[in-house]
Amino acid sequence: MRTTRRRVMAGALATAVALALAGCVQSANQSQGGSTSGGKHSLTVFVSADTNIQDLWQKTLIPAFEKANPSYSVKVDFDLHGVHDQQTVAKITAATVQKRDPGYDIVDAGFVQQLSTSGLLATATPKQIPNLSKVAEAIRKPGGANSVPYRASSVLLAYNSDKISSPPKTVDDLLAWIKANPGKFTYCSPASGGSGGAFVTTVLDKTIPSADRAKMVTEYEPNLETDWNAGWATLRSLNPYVYQQGVYPNGNNQVLDLLSSGQILMAPVWSDQFTSGVQSGQIPKNIKATQTTPSLTGGASYLGVLKASPRAKDAYKLLNWLLTPSAQASISQSVAGYPVIPLKELPQSIQTEFANAQIDKLRPTYQAQMNNDMNQQWSQQVPGK
Amino acid sequence: MTVSTARRSRSGTKSLGVRRTPRLSVAGFLMALPPIVLVLLFVGLPVILALGFSLGFTGGLNTVVSLVGQQVHKATDWWGTLAAWADVFGDTQFLTNLAVTVVVTVVSAVVVLGMSIGIGLYLRMRGGWFATMLSGLAVVPLFIPVVIASWAILTFYAGDGFIRSVFASVGLVGPTWGYTVVAIVIGSVWTSLPFAVLMISSGFQSIPDAMIEAAQDAGASRARIAFSILIPMSSVPIVIASTFTAIGVIGSFTVPYFTGPNAPTMLGVMLTSYFTAFNRPQQSIVMAFTIFIVAAAIGAFYVWANFRSAKEQGRA
Repeated sequence: MRTTRRRVMAGALATAVALALAGCVQSANQSQGGSTSGGKHSLTVFVSADTNIQDLWQKTLIPAFEKANPSYSVKVDFDLHGVHDQQTVAKITAATVQKRDPGYDIVDAGFVQQLSTSGLLATATPKQIPNLSKVAEAIRKPGGANSVPYRASSVLLAYNSDKISSPPKTVDDLLAWIKANPGKFTYCSPASGGSGGAFVTTVLDKTIPSADRAKMVTEYEPNLETDWNAGWATLRSLNPYVYQQGVYPNGNNQVLDLLSSGQILMAPVWSDQFTSGVQSGQIPKNIKATQTTPSLTGGASYLGVLKASPRAKDAYKLLNWLLTPSAQASISQSVAGYPVIPLKELPQSIQTEFANAQIDKLRPTYQAQMNNDMNQQWSQQVPGK
Repeated sequence: MTVSTARRSRSGTKSLGVRRTPRLSVAGFLMALPPIVLVLLFVGLPVILALGFSLGFTGGLNTVVSLVGQQVHKATDWWGTLAAWADVFGDTQFLTNLAVTVVVTVVSAVVVLGMSIGIGLYLRMRGGWFATMLSGLAVVPLFIPVVIASWAILTFYAGDGFIRSVFASVGLVGPTWGYTVVAIVIGSVWTSLPFAVLMISSGFQSIPDAMIEAAQDAGASRARIAFSILIPMSSVPIVIASTFTAIGVIGSFTVPYFTGPNAPTMLGVMLTSYFTAFNRPQQSIVMAFTIFIVAAAIGAFYVWANFRSAKEQGRA
C-alpha cells in the first residue's frame, strides 16, 4: 500500500513538473512572430517608445504601407517608455545565439545602436534598401553599421514668451540666465527623459576635448569619463537655482507640465513633443522654442532588421518604403519628426516648417553605454549635493 | 495498519476517521503540489539565480544578463565575489537612500497605525453615522489606482497647488510638499490606510460588548477601556496591519517615483534606475536583496503574530 501511495505521488509530481515545463515550451512557441505562408507576408515591428510613436506606427505608417502593398500585414509589439529594454535586448541576444526566431523582425528603439555594435542586425545598405542612399552620411553614421534612420528630432530650449523677450543664445548665456532667475528653470533627470539628457550632455561637452567627444559618440570608453568632472561641478552649482532649489522631475512630460502651467519659465524640450503639444493645445501659445549654440543634442531614431529574423527580405521592403517622400511627409505631419531624406523631395509646407532645423548638423548624444554611465553619475553627483 | 484493524473491531465509525487522516494528507499534498512546483520553479529558481548572479556567478542561465549588463563582476573564489555588494554598500548615495527608505517606512507605518486605530476605536466606542462614514471614506483609496493618486497628491501639494492657493488667499505662504520626502509619506499613508483600517476595525469589532460594559460598570474611563482592553486584545490584527503596511511601503516605486525628489529617493526607485536606465543588473539585484532582508525582518514579526493567534485559538 505504501509503495502504491509513493507511486501515485511520484506520478503526480512528474505530471506537475511536466505540465509546468510544457507551459514554458508553449509560451516559447507562442512568441514566434508572423510567417510568410500562403503568399501573405507578415511582419512584426517592435516599438519601444512613447505612445505618440505607437500611434505613428499603428494609425499612420502601417495602414499606408498595407494599402500600398496589399499582400503585407504588419503588427506592432509595443513597450511603453522602453521599460523592458534590457530584457528585450537579452531576448534578442539569446534568440540570435540560439538561432531561434525572436518574434520581431524590425526594431524601433533606443537600443538599435547597441544591437548594431553587438552584431545582432542584418545587413542594411543601399543594396538592400535603395532609398537609404538618399539619407545623408552624417545622419546615418551615429546609428552604427546596418541601422536605418527614419525620423529625427532634437532638443530645443523652450521659454515663456510673456516673461522673456530675448532668450539666451549660447549655453553660457543660458547658465547665466538660470542663476539670474532662481527657481524658473529645470530639466528632467537624464535617466527619465532625453530632454534632460540633452541639457546635461551639452553642459558636459563644454569642457571635453573634441577628439574625446567624437569617440564618446561611437564607442564605449569608460576611461574618458574623467572629462565629465568639470561639467558635474557646473551642474551641481545650478542646484540652488533650479525649480524648488534642486527639483529635477521624472520624465519629459512633467517638465512640459511645469512650463505650461507657468511654474517655470524655461526648460529643454523635445522638438517633436513640443510641436505636437502646441498643435494639440496641451502647450499654450505663449511658450516658444529656440535653439542655442552649440545646439542641445538631438539625432535620428534608428530602425534595425534583426539578424535572427527569417523575414529580412520583407523587412527591407518596409524600410525602403519608410524612406519614400510620402512616408517621410506623413511622419513629419503626425509626430513633427524631422525628415531624414533631403528636404527638397518633400512638399513645400514641410520644407518651410523644417527650413531652420539643420537636420544633418544635429549634435549626436553619447553611445548607449556611455549614456547609461552618464545617467548613473548624474544621479550620484548632481541632485541633493 | 495493525492499530486501525484492532480499532475497527471495537468501533467501526472511529476507525474510519483514523484511517482517513493519512489518506487526506496525501490528497492534500497532491492538491497543493501544482502551486508548490510553480512557486519553486518560477519564484524559487529565479531567486537562487539572482543571488548567484549578485555573487558573480555569470555562467549558465545568467549568461545573457551578464553579457548585456555593464559593470558586471565575475566570481573570483569558489563562493563567488562580494565586489557588487561592495560597489553598492560603498556608495554613500545608497546608504542615504537606505536610511530614507527605512525612515519613510517607519513614519508611514506609525501614521497609518495611529489613524486606523483612531478610526477603529471611534467606530467601536461611539459608532453612529459619522464613524461609519469615516471608516467608509478611509477605504476609498483602495479603488483609486496608485498612479492617479500620486499625480493628484503631487498637484495638490505643488507650488501652484490647492494648499498653497488657500494659504495665499489669506496672505500667508503655505508649504510646498511636491517633490519632497513629505509627499512620499503622504502618498504611502494614502495607499496603505484602507487595508489597515479594515484589519484593525474588524479586530475591535470582534471584542465582545460584555467586556467593555463590565469595565464601564467598574468605573473605567474611555481611555482606560481603549488602552487596557481594546488595543491589547486586538494586538494580533494590529501587528498584521503594521507589517503589511511596512512591507508595502518599503518596496514601493510609483509613489516615490512621481511625488518624491531625485535625491534622496527610496530604494525601489533607485534599483529600478540601476536595472533599466543605468544597465547595472548586478548592483540592482544587491539592492533588491537588501530590501528583501529588511522586509524579511518585518515579516518575522508577522509570522510571530500569526503563531501567537493560532496558539490563542488552541490550533498549535
